[in-house]
Amino acid sequence: MFGKIKNIFLPSMVFFIYAFLYLPILIMAIFSFNKASIGFKWIGFTTEWYQKLFYSDEIWYVFKNSLIVALSAVFLSVTIGVALVWGLYRKNTKLLSLFYSNIMIPEIVSSVSLLSLFILFSIPLGLNALVIGHTLLGLGFVIPILNVRFQELNYNLIEASLDLGANIWTTFFKVVLPFLVPAIVSASLLVFIVSLDDFLIAFFCSDSTSQTLSLYIYSTIRAGVSPLVNALSTLMLVGSSVLVLLFIYISLKFIPENND
Amino acid sequence: MNNFKKLFYEDGAFFISIPALLWQLLFLILPISIMFIASFLIYKSGTFTKFTFEHYKSVFDLPHFYVIFRSVILAFFNSTLCLIFAYPVAYYLSIRTTRYKNLSLFFLTLPFWINFLVHIYSWFFILDYAGLLNSLLIKLGIIKTPVHFINTVGSIMLVMLHGYLPFMILPLYTVLEKLDKKLIEASLDLGATRTYTFFRIVLPLSYTGASAGFFLVFVLSFGEFLIPALLGGGKTLFVGTLISEYFLMLGSLPQGAAFTFVSALILILSLLFCRLLLKYFFRGR
Repeated sequence: MFGKIKNIFLPSMVFFIYAFLYLPILIMAIFSFNKASIGFKWIGFTTEWYQKLFYSDEIWYVFKNSLIVALSAVFLSVTIGVALVWGLYRKNTKLLSLFYSNIMIPEIVSSVSLLSLFILFSIPLGLNALVIGHTLLGLGFVIPILNVRFQELNYNLIEASLDLGANIWTTFFKVVLPFLVPAIVSASLLVFIVSLDDFLIAFFCSDSTSQTLSLYIYSTIRAGVSPLVNALSTLMLVGSSVLVLLFIYISLKFIPENND
Repeated sequence: MNNFKKLFYEDGAFFISIPALLWQLLFLILPISIMFIASFLIYKSGTFTKFTFEHYKSVFDLPHFYVIFRSVILAFFNSTLCLIFAYPVAYYLSIRTTRYKNLSLFFLTLPFWINFLVHIYSWFFILDYAGLLNSLLIKLGIIKTPVHFINTVGSIMLVMLHGYLPFMILPLYTVLEKLDKKLIEASLDLGATRTYTFFRIVLPLSYTGASAGFFLVFVLSFGEFLIPALLGGGKTLFVGTLISEYFLMLGSLPQGAAFTFVSALILILSLLFCRLLLKYFFRGR
């Protein structure tokens, strides 16, 4: 009897914790199809809020801003990140550990210090400032991921390429870069989502024309529950799930395969 | 090797790492240094005048100290609760089951990719005055009139646990998954009970994952801004909310900088203390 209880104790605890993690989000997703615009009573099924969302200029505007910032941050952090790791390959690994601080420093500290810099040097706030901040944050994710991948790189491949007469740049583009592709894709996905999710840097470094999705949600839900935000959050949830599936697919499929 | 080095230096490949280093220097190291210097200066109408310790003195008064103290306590409780709830999940997923591996990986990763605001927002449906928890409790006859859950410390703690639990589960899971299962088998074969094996083998070996998760959650909860801002009703100040007020509403950069550095110092000290505590708990026996 006691053994039986012990056997179901751990699984039921795990089940309970998963329910705790996912139940609130699930409830929110269900309520995004609720006809009622205020309150928490289920009146009936509707997709009205999704239609309203689709025709809302404000949503498209903040979404565009978020997308511009995220894509620029991905491009910049991945490009200069790859350049850094390749430039320091087999040389100075201490410099690489400098970049771990980007994610270890509390984001509130890095965002207010960025704000001080922009104010003191009268750099205008806005999308540019957000790209600067998100690229900084992104480097903290890109460089560790690339570094791990570089350590798996077989040095003999580079030697062989050089011995066969390729110069260092041909070697980079023909040997090293293809090897890095899975790491680059997962790092890009990660920076993309980190940038979309970021609130603090956007909160401090944006002006009135550079509202992002996170800022829009924040300012709306400060006033309470809004059916448009329900629909928006649910769509973002779906988007996140797709990106995670992509991320897991890449890390499971490509990385073990390229090992040998 | 020589061949590679020669070619690489001749082609000047080191220079391609300069953009990233410059970015780091200009947008992280320089701003923090500026903030550090500014915290010792008096700032009036756009210019810095003279050197002073005044801002640091003002941080060491009682209200400021309370804010920092409250954040330390909140961070400590949140990390501890996360550790307690994350351990069974990480343990079960890594050691007990081999089925549904990809599915569990998906559900472990997903919370990191969901916008943090969505996490917080979803609790509005449950905790609101007219929300699901209140109607459930009334239906069950436990309470007669609805309770104000939002804008209490309890709701802040609950939502923080929800938001940061995945940050604890993932590092623990990674370490436990790599743990050599033969050690557990050997211990069981040699006559140890499951409980004894857990405390003598699994727990000490999971120290690295547990401490990584603990410190991550601690740092994140210490500087948390969104949850107190949305669920605290603006009453309970924490470090994150006070820093933001200094920089946005009060517009007093040097005091804000001084407060930021003092809180960071106390954060580091509390992390060192927690390290001792965790080491004792996981490896002390």
